Amino acid sequence: MKNSFTLTCFLLSLMASAQFTISGTILDESGEPLLGVNVYVEGTYDGATSDLEGHFSFETAQTDDLVLIVSSIGFIKETIALTGSTDTIEVKLREEISQLNSVIITAGSFNASEENQREVLRPLDIATTAGATADIPGALNTLPGTQRVGETGRLFVRGGEGRETKTFIDGMLVHEEYSPTAPNTPSRSRFSPFMFKGASFSTGGYSAEFGQALSSALVLESKEAAESNRTDLSFMTVGADVSTTQTLPNGSVAAKVQYTNLTPYFEFIPQNLQWDTAPTSWDGNIAVRQKTGKTGLLKLYANLSTSSLAIREASISEPEILLPATVSNDYTYLNASYRTLLSDKWGIRTGTSFTTSSDFASLDKASRKQDLLGFHSKLVGDYQHSDRFALVVGGELMGRSIKQRLQEQETYHRKVDEYTGASFAELEFYFSKDIALKTGLRGEYNALNEEMSVDPRIAAAYKTGTHSQVSIAYGRFRQSASDEVIINAPSAEQEKATHYIANYQHVADGQTFRIEAYEKRYSDLAQFQDINNTASYQYRGDGHARGIELFWRDRKSIKNLDYWVSYSFLDTERTYRNYPGAYTPPFASSHNFSVVTKKFIDQLKSQVGVTYSFASARTYNDRNSERFLSGRTPAYHDLSFNISYLYSNQIIIHAMVNNALGINNVFGYEYASEPDTNGVFARRAITPPAKRFIFLGIFITLSKNKGINQLPNL
Amino acid sequence: MKRSILVLFSVAIAFGTIANGQFEKAMGASIPAIFSSQSAEDLQEVINRLSRIGESEKTRWEPYYYTSYGYIKMSGFYKSQEDKDKYLELAISEAEKGLAVDGGNSELVSLKGYAYMMQLTIDPGTRGMTYSGLAFEQLNKAVALNPQNPRAHYLLGRMQHGTAQFMGGGDGGACKSLATAKNLFENAASPKNPFAPSWGEETTNSAIADLCGN
Repeated sequence: MKNSFTLTCFLLSLMASAQFTISGTILDESGEPLLGVNVYVEGTYDGATSDLEGHFSFETAQTDDLVLIVSSIGFIKETIALTGSTDTIEVKLREEISQLNSVIITAGSFNASEENQREVLRPLDIATTAGATADIPGALNTLPGTQRVGETGRLFVRGGEGRETKTFIDGMLVHEEYSPTAPNTPSRSRFSPFMFKGASFSTGGYSAEFGQALSSALVLESKEAAESNRTDLSFMTVGADVSTTQTLPNGSVAAKVQYTNLTPYFEFIPQNLQWDTAPTSWDGNIAVRQKTGKTGLLKLYANLSTSSLAIREASISEPEILLPATVSNDYTYLNASYRTLLSDKWGIRTGTSFTTSSDFASLDKASRKQDLLGFHSKLVGDYQHSDRFALVVGGELMGRSIKQRLQEQETYHRKVDEYTGASFAELEFYFSKDIALKTGLRGEYNALNEEMSVDPRIAAAYKTGTHSQVSIAYGRFRQSASDEVIINAPSAEQEKATHYIANYQHVADGQTFRIEAYEKRYSDLAQFQDINNTASYQYRGDGHARGIELFWRDRKSIKNLDYWVSYSFLDTERTYRNYPGAYTPPFASSHNFSVVTKKFIDQLKSQVGVTYSFASARTYNDRNSERFLSGRTPAYHDLSFNISYLYSNQIIIHAMVNNALGINNVFGYEYASEPDTNGVFARRAITPPAKRFIFLGIFITLSKNKGINQLPNL
Repeated sequence: MKRSILVLFSVAIAFGTIANGQFEKAMGASIPAIFSSQSAEDLQEVINRLSRIGESEKTRWEPYYYTSYGYIKMSGFYKSQEDKDKYLELAISEAEKGLAVDGGNSELVSLKGYAYMMQLTIDPGTRGMTYSGLAFEQLNKAVALNPQNPRAHYLLGRMQHGTAQFMGGGDGGACKSLATAKNLFENAASPKNPFAPSWGEETTNSAIADLCGN
């Protein structure tokens, strides 16, 4: 017994005497000492924290296979195997390149995200912008790079047509993303901003992952699985909706049904159109989210809608003659996507989307029926080698089929099927946290015109200060000619655009300043004398768009006030379609300006917003003039207000009025097809059907979670 | 032979108690230091100590509780929004490390809710709605996971108070939650786990005095 006690004492003292000291200095890359670094022996409590001089010192009992870990917030963890005698050691830590400290490639893109504090916009900003009516394109139209085209409500980017902007949801293409509307009434996106947790709006120079868009890509990322149950009811002057979200084990399911009918609204607000049937629609949405394994997420989304309207349209030359016109649309969009991590470094994303859209439009006895079927399938691998190097590779297949039936005196049937295969690779490299380079290639094969192509994309960014950076981008982009062209001439060449962009951005403490200059060159645009005369088709049209854009946002200077100011200057001309030379097209305006303000007023428990938008004159073709596109519309002005009043925690009352001043905006003129007896073509101004749009709604949330209401949804 | 077995046995016991005692000793020294440290440097040193313990003890959630709590406290030492967010996000990720050890732990879920609540207070005007949803979600969940957790009720009470102030009128159930917390603190049996969190009684009482006085 005595022996064993002695032995124990001996062993214990041996252990005590086996303690040895590890000490040293921790520095950053530039040799400056680092404070607060955790230095310790792996698997033990033995360690210390570096002091102001970067020094540390501690004792450890472990002697064999000693692994030292050096770890600090914002730096890459170092693991050092210590062998034999070690006196003092010096460790240099490299700063981790993260979203928070690194340069980001911003040329050409505006990002909205809840997660990244440095983004210019939040998803909520989209919903609360006055004048935008909680419509994504409506809100993006207050950003630089867009031109107001009031009669369509679509995104027109940097002198491009509306069709040159493509929308992607979770990476998958959407066809016909706008709801049909009455003539000259701005259409809305079919997709509510509340569905999304992030948006990236590129006005040029975007990633090789996206194609078939000459000007712009709007990439929307839908929300992840919901974590609480809720049911929402909305009663609006234009209809009602009900939605519910239920959590599932490892997932959630959400459904929404919306009914819109403008008949009662038109009773109160006089319209300068004669309605037979005011716009009426049913919309249904279902979203399922299911987590699989540790990192997998499956998203299913379906949107179904049916809408119709009927008006009496006056003849331009003889306004007393009213012709019945109808528009109806049935629409389905299905999107399934899945992503997961395969290992520490590899992740995959895959998805498929289907769109069917069946349009019918008639004017008197003539009618046009068009059925569109679109699909898109994609597989992408994401490889994250380190914080400095990442690679994205993938392939995709896009198809669309358009069937038309035109009925005038005779009936015509036309049909075109287009398939495009593409593969892409893009690598992103950070030389340091201050210099980033992104370079990609996109190869495409179009089965319709048998065109094979490879387009480069390059972007770089350099951090010029703690809060400022410059960024440049170059890329070549292509897109199939417009539907009306390819349905006449399936072998039509693809249209091309080359973008050059330079950007400076300064973001600090709630203030953002951006200036961006760009040049975009179009080539191979379709030209014709008569769109129905296929023999007259040529693909030699070209053009340019160049401009300077400014953006300023300030959330800091005035308490509870958030505002942004955008200005875009655009110089563009193109020779295409039936243009006799280079002209500024009717959808382009040289100067666009917006001021968006939002303020929360505590006393009123309300958020109020005011937006002013301006667009300078647009061209139109004056048929009574010899010169082409010689007409100039008046400038466009709009002053819109909105207010969201928190009646209680879960009841919100929202009101808004667009064009509060009732300014008579003219978007262009339509001309009679034949001259009158004096040889003059009669004309009619293209104007909104009512000067103001007024909206009132009550939004009620039913949830056990009292913190949830629909304000984020407004 | 017998003797040598005995010797080995006693050595094993000696080792065992050292190994066990080590956790108790280290935690016992570090937990009060989290509460008493008065500067970012001191606090980081204690957090570092606790994260070493957390990494060594794969089955203990408590070290992560205190590193998470420490980062919430740390965010208070900084002025800029970016710094505050950085530490509050670290607080959330530390709480999640703890939840990876003990999934349904009401204390850790409360801390996540606490961190969201602090993120909300950085910029209530723009963050109000998103973050109040996140904070309530976690705090309600914490109460549901363990209705006997006084800290969950206390934090929920603070959140309810803040929201009610924002909405104007009423207390949003804050005083009821605080009273529940007070009651639970007063009647709490001495904890089985000496390292489980025990803070909050004083702050609850002073919150009641400030907000629920007649």
